[in-house]
Amino acid sequence: MESLSDIHWDVVISGTGLQQSLLALALSRSGKKILHIDSNDFYGGTEASLGLQDAASWVSRIEAGGGGGLLKSAAIWRPEDSTGLAASRQYYLALAPQVVHARSRLLEQLVSSRAYRQVEFLAVGSSYVFKPASEPTQPAALVRIPSTREEVFSTTAVSTKEKRLLMKFLKFVLDHDSSPQQETWHPYAEKPLSALLSEAFNMGEELQKLIYTLTLSLNPGINTKDGLAVIRRHISSMGVYGPGFAAIYPKWGGLSEIAQVSCRACAVGGGVYMLGTGIQSTEVVEGGVKLELTSGDAIRTRLLVRASEDAASGMPVIRRLVAVTNSSFDSLFEPAVEGAPRPAVAIIAYPAGSLSTAAGKASEHPVYLSAHSSETGECPAGQSVLYLTTNASPDAQELLGRALDAFLDAAKPSAQQEVRVLTKLEYEQGSGGSSVLITQGPILTFQATTPSIAFSDSVLDPIRSAWKKILGDEAVDDEYLTFSDREGAADDDDDVYEQ
Amino acid sequence: MADQGGYSQHGIARTSRVRTEEQRQRDLDRIAKYRNLEDQVRQRVAASDYSPETFRLTSALLKLNPEYYTIWNARRRCLISSSFSKQPSGSSHSKASSNTFPTATTRGSSTASSSAPSATTPPSQASPTAGTSGTTAEEATHNDRSDAESEAHDFSIIRSELTFTIPLLLESPKCYWIWSYRLWILQQAISRLPAARARAVWEEELRLASRMLDKDRRNFHAWGYRRHVVAQLESPVLNGKSMAEAEFAYTTAMIHKDLSNFSAWHSRAKLIPCLLDERGADDAARRAFLDAELNQTREALNVGPEDQSLWYYHQYLILNIVRPSQHPAMAPHFSTTDRIAYLERELDEVRSLLEDYDDVQLVYEALFEYTLFLCELRRGNAKEGKIGEEEKKDLVEWLGRLKGLDPMRRGRWADLERELGLEEGPGSR
Repeated sequence: MESLSDIHWDVVISGTGLQQSLLALALSRSGKKILHIDSNDFYGGTEASLGLQDAASWVSRIEAGGGGGLLKSAAIWRPEDSTGLAASRQYYLALAPQVVHARSRLLEQLVSSRAYRQVEFLAVGSSYVFKPASEPTQPAALVRIPSTREEVFSTTAVSTKEKRLLMKFLKFVLDHDSSPQQETWHPYAEKPLSALLSEAFNMGEELQKLIYTLTLSLNPGINTKDGLAVIRRHISSMGVYGPGFAAIYPKWGGLSEIAQVSCRACAVGGGVYMLGTGIQSTEVVEGGVKLELTSGDAIRTRLLVRASEDAASGMPVIRRLVAVTNSSFDSLFEPAVEGAPRPAVAIIAYPAGSLSTAAGKASEHPVYLSAHSSETGECPAGQSVLYLTTNASPDAQELLGRALDAFLDAAKPSAQQEVRVLTKLEYEQGSGGSSVLITQGPILTFQATTPSIAFSDSVLDPIRSAWKKILGDEAVDDEYLTFSDREGAADDDDDVYEQ
Repeated sequence: MADQGGYSQHGIARTSRVRTEEQRQRDLDRIAKYRNLEDQVRQRVAASDYSPETFRLTSALLKLNPEYYTIWNARRRCLISSSFSKQPSGSSHSKASSNTFPTATTRGSSTASSSAPSATTPPSQASPTAGTSGTTAEEATHNDRSDAESEAHDFSIIRSELTFTIPLLLESPKCYWIWSYRLWILQQAISRLPAARARAVWEEELRLASRMLDKDRRNFHAWGYRRHVVAQLESPVLNGKSMAEAEFAYTTAMIHKDLSNFSAWHSRAKLIPCLLDERGADDAARRAFLDAELNQTREALNVGPEDQSLWYYHQYLILNIVRPSQHPAMAPHFSTTDRIAYLERELDEVRSLLEDYDDVQLVYEALFEYTLFLCELRRGNAKEGKIGEEEKKDLVEWLGRLKGLDPMRRGRWADLERELGLEEGPGSR
């Protein structure tokens, strides 16, 4: 039997994060000799999902300096009385709980590559805006954001006049690449979206907050060009896979599941997988790269693909709080429309200014809370996982805590047993310089992606670049992530003919 | 499953050529199998062989081609000759059915609801014409069952046939032949089962109709089908009573799902007179109902002024106010003053839409038409020149906007102008 060192590998892929895994999927029918390793003993890298014990080890590693420059300030907490907390393996906390819009290129690629068959997709419900109480005696409210004409019709949260503005804006956005819309927004292209909304559409602050939430952006000053593009993606995704929802979420940990399915596909195609194995040393030689793995193996490969663990300065850093609670918040996951699938994810936005610190300072950045029901497979039935995200800042930790408390207050099932937080995970995560693939001879490096609430298609471009570099002349553009089903996978009508 | 090296080692060309040849051969095989199946069925039909074996063959053929209506007919014949009980056993229980008597002289299923072209077939087997006496020797051998057993037997056939058509329907939701076969089976339920059981079958049918409408909300065939099912459920044959309230609620739900739904708004309008009568609504209740409908429609127009289905419905509400003799349901006894007040208020509301929607043609059309109604109420028929100064000014303005927004119809606008004497004086064009 050949040992790893005897094989002259075509590609070694280091790390099983989403980008590396999708690359493995793209190469899964190429016949190339692929060795795919990961120093963790789980798949997914920065997009992994972790059981509680794995999460605790992950935290320790980061605190011991093992997060590269990307991850820091990690902590995991459990109350003294941990009744209700189930076994570690019953939890699967997602490090990248991103929702994927129906019109996202990622879904197109999962379909054309047939990998979608291995993934179970869940509906993401409409977003809510957190409306702080106007008076101390009034409760805070979670207001559903209308994004279709029927939702605008039915909502009671928007005045008659505002409804008209909202409709005009939604129509404008859908068609904003044509005239005369272009003439209206081009002057504001690099300016904040809020400027367009207040000056060109005469919208008041409340309505602006609703619209801003449709962007799901962590950047309060998102510019008009980007903002309009993102909102259009949302609106045109609405109803594509069924009534009442615009985005989906893969069961069993979001992007981590996509990474795993991709790796599995590559393994079926002949790729060799080694977890718990990292790269000890790298040497560029003639014809490729010489690697020494932590397992002791000496490897020769034509190309090496890896992901950078450096955070670029000046790029967004986010802070995240993951809280497991003992309530399933059923009312949050009601389908928006009769006949629509029950959502498993609900997003609540806290626009800048809707939260303040104990010292009275108002939040300068939006906070997003993504609530996941047990349908996601991330916690046992009857519980839920809440993922809170905001830009890192000295106040960020406190504000995330406040957002959590405000949510528990506003969303608690009436007069039920007290909602308790069973465990918390916190960390900060930076991002790379840009999404461009870095090529240094035979070494290709993915830069760290920017954490976001909704998946961004820009993550996909460097993967294709890497694929092209690896296949060289053999790369046929039309065949990128376009495969037919392997034998045995889903062939429906033939049984009638089997008489 | 050795598929690692096989395929695209050197790119596409080899791969797709191989598949095309395989694909072609597979298709040829399929065609041969289909033809063979078809031949078998047709031979049997030609020989009047409607045995269970033929029935089984029709199942296979219809799965491949549900549009082949001759085969649906063959299937019906199979059921009648070999599967269903000889006497529709429901005949001893059902009250109003005039179509279940097993004498050969009557043709079954003559109710108005049956729309299938050949839903009825005369019994082709040798059953004695003197069936009324019920105990000839042939019937005894053919059907050695008690009434209860016959009923259970027929019920299970009905259910299995309905189940058979479901996957076909889901795949071809607009295939008339499947729907008509279902209707025939449902009609068999009425003639062969006691009312309570037949009713259960039809109620399930209503649920199916709803599911089909969920898949395609604006399928007017499905709406028509739904109305037919509801009509049957309401009829005495199935111990029915009025379903106006439930159906009205259904239109409300459908509208909330999709405002732009001509059929839902239309059904709603059709239901209202019945509904209000059933509720025993007095004038005050009817007025309140009208107010609520006007409010809701206004909210809908507020977000969808370009939607014609909303304007049709709004016009229906206005007609209740303006032409109570034709539409007496909601405002039968308003005084003329009242009617004028309501119309003026609605005109104001529509006018306010112009603040934000000043280039939507339908808004101007509504304003124009309603202003004419106002003339009618205030004075009399507008076409007889009974237009006041204020109104004339408005009409000229709306017409001007319409000419600009819809130049293709300038002939129509010119006609209106002339008819109503709205031409501007010379030199003002």
